[in-house]
Amino acid sequence: MPPESDKPGKEEAAAGAASSAGIGSGDPDLTFTGPESGEGRSAGPWTIAWRRLRRNWLALFALAVFLLIVLACLLAPVWANDVAHTGPNTTHTLEKLHEGGETKEVVEVTGKSIGPQWFAAGGKFFLGADGHLGRDEMVRLLYGGRASLFIGFTAALITLILAVVLGLLAGYRGGWTDTVISRALDVIWSFPVVLLGISLGIALAVGGLSIGPIHLKSSSLWIPTLIIGVVTTPYMARPLRGEVLALREKEFIEAAVAQGASAWRIMFIELLPNLISTIIVFFTLNIANNMLLEATLSFLGAGVQPPNSSWGTMISEGFEALYSQPLLTIIPGTAILLTVLSINVFGDGLRDALDPKSKVRFEARSGATAERSELAELSGTGV
Amino acid sequence: MKKFSFLLTIAALVAVAALVLAACGGGGSSSSGESTSSSGSSGEGEGKEGGTLKGAYTESPDYMDPQLSYTAQGWTAMRPVYIPMLYYKAAEGQEGSEIIPGLAKEMPKVSNGGKTYTMFMREGLKYSNGEPIKAGDFKYAVERAFLTNSGGSPFYTSIVGAEKFAKTKKGGISGIKVNEGTGEIVINLEKPRGTFENELALMFVAPVPKSTPAEDQSASPPPASGPYYITKSEPDRGWTYERNPYWANDNGKQMTEIPAGNMDKIEMEVLPNQATQVNEIESGQLNWLFDPVPADRLQQVKEKFEGTQLRLEPTISTLYFWMNMTEEPFNNLKVREAVNYAVDPAALERIYTGLISGTQQILPPGMPGYKKFELYPHDMKKAKELIAESGVKDKEITVWTDSRNPNPEVGAYYEGVLKELGFKTELKVVNANNYFTVIGNLSTPNLDTGWTDWFEDYPHPNDFFDILLNGESIQQTNNENFSQTNIPALNEKIDKLSMEQLGPQQETEYAELDEEFMKQAAWAPYGTETETLFVSENVNLESIIWNPTFETELTSIEFK
Repeated sequence: MPPESDKPGKEEAAAGAASSAGIGSGDPDLTFTGPESGEGRSAGPWTIAWRRLRRNWLALFALAVFLLIVLACLLAPVWANDVAHTGPNTTHTLEKLHEGGETKEVVEVTGKSIGPQWFAAGGKFFLGADGHLGRDEMVRLLYGGRASLFIGFTAALITLILAVVLGLLAGYRGGWTDTVISRALDVIWSFPVVLLGISLGIALAVGGLSIGPIHLKSSSLWIPTLIIGVVTTPYMARPLRGEVLALREKEFIEAAVAQGASAWRIMFIELLPNLISTIIVFFTLNIANNMLLEATLSFLGAGVQPPNSSWGTMISEGFEALYSQPLLTIIPGTAILLTVLSINVFGDGLRDALDPKSKVRFEARSGATAERSELAELSGTGV
Repeated sequence: MKKFSFLLTIAALVAVAALVLAACGGGGSSSSGESTSSSGSSGEGEGKEGGTLKGAYTESPDYMDPQLSYTAQGWTAMRPVYIPMLYYKAAEGQEGSEIIPGLAKEMPKVSNGGKTYTMFMREGLKYSNGEPIKAGDFKYAVERAFLTNSGGSPFYTSIVGAEKFAKTKKGGISGIKVNEGTGEIVINLEKPRGTFENELALMFVAPVPKSTPAEDQSASPPPASGPYYITKSEPDRGWTYERNPYWANDNGKQMTEIPAGNMDKIEMEVLPNQATQVNEIESGQLNWLFDPVPADRLQQVKEKFEGTQLRLEPTISTLYFWMNMTEEPFNNLKVREAVNYAVDPAALERIYTGLISGTQQILPPGMPGYKKFELYPHDMKKAKELIAESGVKDKEITVWTDSRNPNPEVGAYYEGVLKELGFKTELKVVNANNYFTVIGNLSTPNLDTGWTDWFEDYPHPNDFFDILLNGESIQQTNNENFSQTNIPALNEKIDKLSMEQLGPQQETEYAELDEEFMKQAAWAPYGTETETLFVSENVNLESIIWNPTFETELTSIEFK
C-alpha cells in the first residue's frame, strides 16, 4: 500500500471537505500535509487529533484519573478477597474488632458503625463500615464503582447503537421513516428523563423485565442499564439525524449514489465514518451523564436495587446518617464527582482534538503557533 | 394497622441537590434564623390553657376522613375531632385500653347470646357546624364505611345485612335499627363477636352528618363531634384545628371523661425532612413531632433532651418476617424453624438503632394474653442442621421488603441470613406506598418471604390472630395473612375465641394459641417497636398522654 502522502485523491479530498468534523471521512487514504507533520510528510486526521490531545495536559491527566478509578474498580475482588476478606454484601452487625488490645464493635447498639480503620485491621474496614449492617465501605465502594461504570459505559453503548441506527435511518431515508422515528424520539424526549427513568425503574422493580425468551430479574444491573440507554437515545439520535441531513446533500454522497451504491452502503460506509468524531464525543460525555443518572435513579430507589451497591445507592444509604456519619455520603459522592469530572474534562479535550472548528480553547492552551500550524495543515485539504 | 409512608415524592431536583451536597461534603441544618414562640395569646410559660401548638408530620395521613383513615397518622390526627359511640379512655398503658361511652349515653347492653347490642345516643349533642348529632348518623357512618370501601369495613361485616350492603351498596344495613326520637340504636349481629365493643370504639364508625358525601373528604373534613374541628386541610401541606364552638357548652358537658384540650389552635405541617423537624423542635419553631426522631439524630437528642423534651414510648406492635406456608421451601416446618433460629433479634436491634425490643412471638408485650416464651433462641448451627434435615430442593427464593427506612436494611439483613442458610435469594425493595398492595395480592409472583409489621387496631389479641393468621381471612387481594397460614385446628380456635368476651380464661387461651402458632413457626417475629415523643422546650412533657392505640393525645399537650 502506498504511503498516505502519495494518494491525496480528489474524491477523498472532497469527502473530507464535506465532513464538518474534518476527520473520519471514511476513506483511510485521506491525508493532510503541513509544517507540523514535517517536511514532505503528511499526517492522518487521527494523528493530528492525537497530537492535539497530547498537548492538552489537563485532558490527559483526567484520562489518567479515570483509568486509575476503572482499574481500582476492576480490582475490587482482589481487595475484597485478599485484603478485606469480606464481600460487598456481607454483614458484620454483631462483629467485634480487636485492635492493639482494644475491642471495638463494628456496629454499636445505637446503630452507629465503625469509622475508617485504614490498615489497623489489616485493610478490613479501610473506610469504615456502612450504616447499621456493618458492611465494609471500601469493598462496597469498589464494587459499587463497577456497577456504576458498567451502567455508565454499557448504557452509553446502547444509546450509541440505537442513536446511530435511528439517526442514519431518519436522516438519510427521510419521508415516513424520518417522520415515524423522529416522532417516536420526540415522545421519549418530551418526558423529563429522570421521571421517565423513575417510572420505568419502579414499574420493573417488582416483576423484572421479560422480552421474549429473555427474562431479567428486578435486581439485574441490566434493567437500569437498559432504561438509561433507551431514555437518553433521543439526546444523541436527534443531533446525528441533523448531521446526516446536512451530509446527504454533499457531493461525495451524490457520487456514491451515482455509482449505484445501496442505501445501506451509503449509510454505513459513506455517512457513518463522517459522524465518528461526533459519536466519540457524545459517547464519552454520555458515560458521565449516565453515571449521574444512575446515581439519581438509585438514590430515588429506581436504579440499582439493594443489597447490591452502586455509588448512587451508597449515597442514598449514607444520606440517612448524614448528620452522624457524613463520610458514608461523602465517600461515594466524591467518587462520582472525580469520575464524572475526569470523563467530562477528557471528553472536552477529545472534542477539541477532533473538531477542527473548535479552535478557541486549543489556541489558548497551545499558543498561536500550534494553531497556525493546524490551520495550515487543514487549509491544504480544503477545509 | 400498618404504618404508612409516602416516600417516593422526592423530586429529582432534591436528588440532584443531594448528590451535589454529598459530592461537596455538604449537609447541614436547614433551620436557621430566630426561634419564634409558637404559643399564642396566653404566651409561653404563662399558663397551661391556650396558645397555638405547631406540630409536624413527615407525610400526610392516608386520609383526613374518619371512615377511611387506617393509619396511626390519621388516627392521632383525628382523635380530638371525631368521637365514636364508644371511646378508648384518654390514658396511658392498660387504662388507655379501657372502653368508655363516647357519643353513647352508656355502654351497650348485650343480649340475644351476644348477638344484639343496644345503646342510646346522648341528647343535645351538636356537630361543630351546629347541626344536631342524631342516632341515624351512626348508622350512616357504618354504611359510609362500606360505601367508600374503607379498609376498616371488614370489621363490621358481622352485622346482619352488612355483607349484602357491601356488595349492593343499596338499601341500607338491615341489622342496624335506629329510633331518632329516643336515640336508641340496636345492632344485630349474624353471630356473637367478642371484639365488637372494641370495633365500636374505632374511628371508622364515628358518626358524621348524613349529608356527608360517600367519598373521600380529606380536603374538606366533615364537621366535628369532638373538642376540636378542622378548619383547613391541604393534603401534603398540612391542616389546622380550632376549638369546636359547641364543645364547652354542649358535647363536653356530657362527655366529661373526654379531655377538652388545652390549645386554642393547633397547626400541623407536613415537613418531609426529619432532620429539619428535629432542628425546628430544638429552636422552638415546632412544638411536637408525630414521627420518631431519625436514627441519625437519636443519640444526640437522647443525650441532650431525654426526660426534659424526649420520652421513649413502647408500642403494641410486632415486627416479623412472614414465610409463605403454601409453597416450597417454607411449606416445610423444619425450614421455618430454621429461619426462626437463624434470625437474631440482637442484630436487628442495631439496625433499628435500639428502638426495638427483641421478641419471638406473635402477641407483643402489653397486649392482653401476652405471656413471654422463647422457642427459638438464636442458634445458627442448629438452623443449618434443620435445613439439612429438611431436604428441601427449591432454594431459590424472593425476599420482599419496602423502601421505608430502615426496612431496606432489615430486608438486606434477612436476605443475608437466608443466604447463610444456603438459599439463593433475590431481594425486592418495593416502594412503601404500594408495598402492602403488592404483597397482599396473591397473584404477585414469587411471594416467598418478607418483612412486615402490625400495630394494634385495638387492645384485643384477636386483632393479631384473626386477620393475620386465620386461614379464613386469606383473600386474593388486600390479603393481610401474608404467610397464608391456614391450620384448620387453629382456625377453629380463633373463631371460637372471637365470639367470646375477653376475660382471664380467654387471655390464657390466646396465650396458648400464640405458642401453638409459634410451634408451627408461622412467622419469624423479631421485635416490638419503641417510638419517640419529642417536644419543644416550652411544652410540658410530663402532661402528655401516650395512648397505646392512638399514641399522642393531642388534647393532653400544654405549654409550661
